[in-house]
Parts: sequence; C-alpha cells; structure tokens
Amino acid sequence: MLFNSFNFLIFFPIVTTLYFMLPHRFRWALLLGASCYFYMVFIPKYILILFVTISVDYFAGIGIEAAQGRRRRWLLGASILANVGMLAFFKYFNFANENISALAAFIGWNYPIGNLEIILPIGLSFHTFQSLSYTIEVYRGNQAAERHFGYLALYVLFYPQLVAGPIERPQNILHQLHEEHHFEYQRVADGLKWMAWGMFKKVVIADRMALFANPVYDSPTEFQGPALVVATLAFAVQIYCDFSGYSDIAFGSAQVMGIRLMKNFNHPYFAKSISEFWQRWHISLSTWFRDYVYIRLGGNRSSPPRWAFNLFLTFLISGLWHGANWTFIIWGALHGIYAVFGGIFANARDRYGVTGKSPLHGNLQRGLSVLSTFLIVCFAWVFFRATSLPDAWYVVGHLFSGWGDFLAQSYLLMQDGFGNGFWALNDAVFNSMLLLTSVSRGELTLTMLAFFCFLIIEVKQERGNFMEELRVYKPYVRMAYYAILVTAILVLGTSYTGVQQAFIYFQF
Amino acid sequence: MNNLLKLVQRCLQVLLFVAVMSGCMFITARPDEKHLYRASVLKSNLLVQTPSPRIILFGGSNIAFGIDSGLMERSLAMPVINDGLHVGLGVAPLIELKKYVRSGDIIIISLEYYNFTDEAAFYGQPQYLADWIEFSPNRIWDVHQPLRQMPSIYTIMLQRKINRQVNYYLYGLSLDEGRGFYTGDKFNERGDFIGHLGEGNNNQFEIPNSVYPVNNMDEAYAFLEEFNQFALSKGATVFYEAQAHRQTNCDITGMKNLRNFFSRLRNKTTIPLLTDLGDLCLPDNLFYDTPYHLNEQGRQIRTERLIDNLKFALGIQ
Repeated sequence: MLFNSFNFLIFFPIVTTLYFMLPHRFRWALLLGASCYFYMVFIPKYILILFVTISVDYFAGIGIEAAQGRRRRWLLGASILANVGMLAFFKYFNFANENISALAAFIGWNYPIGNLEIILPIGLSFHTFQSLSYTIEVYRGNQAAERHFGYLALYVLFYPQLVAGPIERPQNILHQLHEEHHFEYQRVADGLKWMAWGMFKKVVIADRMALFANPVYDSPTEFQGPALVVATLAFAVQIYCDFSGYSDIAFGSAQVMGIRLMKNFNHPYFAKSISEFWQRWHISLSTWFRDYVYIRLGGNRSSPPRWAFNLFLTFLISGLWHGANWTFIIWGALHGIYAVFGGIFANARDRYGVTGKSPLHGNLQRGLSVLSTFLIVCFAWVFFRATSLPDAWYVVGHLFSGWGDFLAQSYLLMQDGFGNGFWALNDAVFNSMLLLTSVSRGELTLTMLAFFCFLIIEVKQERGNFMEELRVYKPYVRMAYYAILVTAILVLGTSYTGVQQAFIYFQF
Repeated sequence: MNNLLKLVQRCLQVLLFVAVMSGCMFITARPDEKHLYRASVLKSNLLVQTPSPRIILFGGSNIAFGIDSGLMERSLAMPVINDGLHVGLGVAPLIELKKYVRSGDIIIISLEYYNFTDEAAFYGQPQYLADWIEFSPNRIWDVHQPLRQMPSIYTIMLQRKINRQVNYYLYGLSLDEGRGFYTGDKFNERGDFIGHLGEGNNNQFEIPNSVYPVNNMDEAYAFLEEFNQFALSKGATVFYEAQAHRQTNCDITGMKNLRNFFSRLRNKTTIPLLTDLGDLCLPDNLFYDTPYHLNEQGRQIRTERLIDNLKFALGIQ
C-alpha cells in the first residue's frame, strides 16, 4: 500500500483507532495483521519470503543466545546466509547472470544459463537489513533473543517502516513494541503533523520535481546541457523530498501509536562535506553500514591505505545495495571516492582555512562548502537516476554542451522583457525557463511557489525545531498553517497528470 | 477521553478550513470553454432529444473523426448520433448511454484497440474522466465503481481546475492537453468532428509507426456482452465495428493479432460484427494525424462501407 493513496487514508485511521481501543495484549496481533495486509496489497505471495526469513532469524536468535563458542557463529552464519541468500537470489541473480553471460560471450564461451523471470519483492533490501541487525545484535549481546514470534515478526513487518525504512535496530524498537502506549494528545498531534509534512514533501515537491526530471532522464539523448542540468537538480530535490517525505510519514504514523522510529534525514543538502552529508542522509542505512561493514572491516583503526579501502568498499557495497545495476555501483564508488578524498584532505582543509578554524570563517565559507558538497552529490545523482550506463555517460558528457544556444535565446527573450513592464519581464523569465522543460507555465509557477515555501520551512527546520516554534503562535494561526498545508497536498499534487508516482526507494 | 475529543475537534476544524478553501476554488474555477469534452454535452443532449429509432455510433475519436453522420442519415433514413469522443474515456460514455437506450435504437460500438490494453484504458483513465464529469456532474455515477473512484476523480478535477486557472488568469492560456486542433467547438449538429475537413488529403502531420497492443481482456468482453443483453432487453440492437486503422500500423501490430481479437470478440460475445475481416485496415493516405483519425476521403470511404454493411445486416435493400 502506498502512503500517498486513498487506501492508506482509510487504512491508517482504522488501524490507529483499533490500536487504542484494543487491550495491550492484543495490539501486537492487530499491528502484525495490519502490516501483513499493508504489504500484501502489493504482491500477496511475497509475504511468505518474509516469514521464511523471520522464522530462520527467530530460531537463530534463540539458538545464538543459548549456545556457546563456535556454535553461536554457525547460527549467526546461517541467519546471514538465509537473509543475504534471499536478497542475492531475488535482487542480484539476474544482474550477475547477465554479466557472466556477457563475459562468456566476450571470451567465446558457451554459457547456457538464462535469466529468471522473477520480480523483486518490494522493500526486500530494507527488511533484509532490519532482520540481519536483529541476529547480529543478539550475537553481540546487545539484544536479548525475542521469545515471542509475533513480536519478532512485527519488528520486521511493522508497516510504517516495512518497505522503505528507516532500517531500525532491535534495541530501539522491540522494547517499544512490548510497551503499552496510551493516547497522548501532543504526541498524536505531532505524529499527524509529521505525516502531513512528509505528505507535502512527497506529493507536492517530489512529484512536481518528477515532472521536470522524468521526461529528460527517460530519453536523455534528446536533450542538451541546460535541460540535463535542470533535470539533475530537479532529481536531487525529488529524491530528497520523496525519501525523506516517506520517512517523515513513517516516523509520524509510528509516533501516533507511541513508537518512536529513528530520524532518517537531517537536512542533508545543508551538509558542508561528504562525510557530513552521510551523517544527514539516510542515517539508518549509513549507520548500518558503519556498524556492520565499515567497522567490521577495520574502520579507521588501520593503516591509511587500508582505511581508504575500507571506506571505499563500504560505499561500493552501499551502491550495490541500492540496485543491481552498474549505475548504482558507480554511484556508490563516486561517494567512496568523495569520502576518501574528503578524509585525506580534511587536515589540509583545517590548515588552509576551508573549515571552521580558518580566517575565512563565516557565512561565505559555509555557503561555498554547502554548495560544493551539493554539486558533487548532484553529479553522483546522474548515475543514480540514469536508467543505463550509456544514458549516464551521455548526461555526464553533455552537461556543458548547448549552453551557448540557450544563453543566446534567453538573452533575446530578456531583451524583449526588460523595460517593458513587469508582465513583459515575467514573460521573458518564464519563456527562458520553458526552453528547458516541457511543463506548462502554470505547472512551472505552482512548482516554484511550492518549492519556495518548502525551502523556507526547510531552512527554518535546519536552524531550529520548527514544530516547537509553531507552538508559540496563536491557535488560529497554527490551524491556518495546517489547513494550508493539507490544502496544498490536495490542490498542488500531480495526480492530475494521471500518473501516480510511487516512492523511489520502493524499488530497493 | 478529553484529549481524544480535543484531537478530533482540532482535526475537524482543520478539515473545515480545508473544505472551505478547496470548495471555494472548486466552485469558482470554470471549465475550459474550448475543451474537447464540451462536445460531450452536445452528444448527451442529442441522446435525450433525438427520437427513436435512431443510430448511435459509440467509440473514441476514431468515430468522431471517421464518420459522416449526415451521409448515413440520408442513406438509411434514420437519425444518426455520433457519440464518439476520446479513447481516454473508455466505456464511461457507454455506461452513460444506458440511460438513453430506447426500443428500435441501433447502437454501433467501435472502441479503439488501446481500450483493451488494461482496466484503466477500458473503463476510462481518471484524469480524462475528471474533465468529462466536470461538464456534467451526474456522470460520476456513470464511471466504473463510482464510490471507489470518487475521491481520486474529484482530487484530480480540483487539481486540473487550479492548473487551468493559473494558466488562464496569469498567462491567458488553457490547460494544454496536447490535442491541438481537436477542440470542443469543432463538432457539427450530429456530433461529428469536422475540424479536419476541407483540407483534402494533404496530411500535415507525421503519423507515428507505433504498435497498438491488442490484448485479451475477458472482463472487457463480459462488459460488452452485458451491455448487449441490456440493449436487447430494451428492444435495441448492438453491432460492433472495427476501429479505423492505418495499414502500416496494422502491419506492425500484426494482422494475425487483429484477427485473433475479433475472433475472441465473436466467441465471447453475441454482438454481431459489421466489419468484414478483410477490411480491418485502410490505406495510409486516408489518415489525418494519427493512425486512427481518418481524413475527409477516408471518412467518406469508411462511412459508405459502414452503410453497406449495416444495410446488409439489417436486410435493407
């Protein structure tokens, strides 16, 4: 089920009302049933895959806790094998097979194995990682094995974060699922506000940005530099609002029921370096990789070359986690390179004043750091968004082409616009922008309006707790704000195009 | 309990604000005067006012462009209504037509192959249905599963109204549907589209050589058979006529696939097929801007062929 669907609009109040009406001892069953239904709306039979891995992890967890010595390792290995094996089969089999087949053809071997006709279960990468963190934490002794199968199943299947995270740790969630949560006005109201804000980001900002990014990235060879740059910037905003919007809805809907999920985003485009970007972007995944891969490989407590290798490999695996395609691997590799070089030059930056200790300290320096980080992140998004490597190379190779024609046409338009009053200038500006996109003027106007509202709130949130700040206003002002937010979701969405945009991260 | 009531009260207050704001926008935003679907009002009026027995032609734009109703009327001595409009509406106007079927009516259905690609294409796509309903609000009950579709259709309608108003008031434009010359003010009194007439055969458009998938949709055949039985119960007769289709596109789609489609239609419904299976495709030079919009000459040929086939089917000399 999609959060941005009318089904969810019915599903959520029913489940929440029943949740608070039921005695505590039955609530796990309600949430588990609701979560199964939520998942089964996509492809029902795939719920069986989840129950297989949950069963393996259930027994592995109890076994690990009871066992001693090497047996514990074997049980953990079995759990990892079951989870990763499932992921490898569904997500990577065809990718690996295609590459082996291409290699075999290149060297003249007869390779008989064809691709399998399988569909990737929605959110498989997310719940696989969440399951894995359970057995690993039990193995490490940070979490007691869960004796109640229903609660363990609920930990993996809990519907707000089932298909696109945040990837939770058992220490944070399992005890919360066991605890009794009463109805608290402020908590529930705050949860609903998070949901509304997440919905705004997804339905209004992300989906509107998709109107700019999708046509270009669906057939990039038809476009030149200016349009490619605009589409890439639009995609950068789209993916942030899409994914953080989902996370906000997940956070809010869990909070309504008294369960506090971890925050997955912290305004990442305000990051001043790549390492800071990853402390703010998809936090649950980056901490997962940090704790279970990077540190396991030796982290930064090793020689510089080994540290660089560890960091690069972690990002490479992170790229592969996102999708079985070379574009994602290159995206991960790019971030690996950024992070390694960022680490190497961190000392130099300190010394020559590129960070806070320098004489150039100030807003300009911060602005430049934020801008440069944003731009290199956007460059990497090209590989993330492109549907194939040739498309990605085309975009990269043409980012700087066609600017002459565009600037010349814009110049002519602006010449007509200047000195002829506001509307003529307005026409000139819009006509210049319409050289870059196929959307109508109305769509462009509404998108810009919504985007600037979003930007103001985003900046306010970066500077402090906007939700807390709102509380100082009079009730009718707050109510007007929420009403405008909900109306904007209703009015400025993009369902008028006839295309319902799924969340981007559902494919992973 | 007090807290719960407080939350419910606050939510209701916010929703009231939302309802007032959206309602104001909804009511004050006017429909697009030149919208293609304005012609649907004319067609509905014709269905109400034209006395029976009469011939009603139903389909997408292949019917709107490709039939000369006046010629049919003169040849068959019966009033003819061209109820073809747009493929995106699917069978929603056919459900609407049910209200107007009377004894003696002859209904000729000529859906586009595209309508048989999936459920949305067959029952109508919500963005098109929203515009269609805007011209006659009662039509919400003529869509498939109205209660289920109602929230999304009204949301889409509201969004389309807002887009249109922004385009109209700020820039003097209408919401661009990409249909160009195909507008609601170019229909004649029988419901035929006439905006493309008078241009001879000088095609000014490059027609795409694309495949039009022909799927096997049991649900669609069941729907058509149900409509047929309904019409029979009212004393009306239903025929099926193949859509106008350009030879090049037929070749790409595959003649075998097209023949299979009609073979399934014959097996799964009792609706007689008017078209000879040898005449499923027409030469490329008879098309105007798409592989199913006939030009003036093509329209003439198709209409004459349809008249002959109908006379034969009805036993008229």
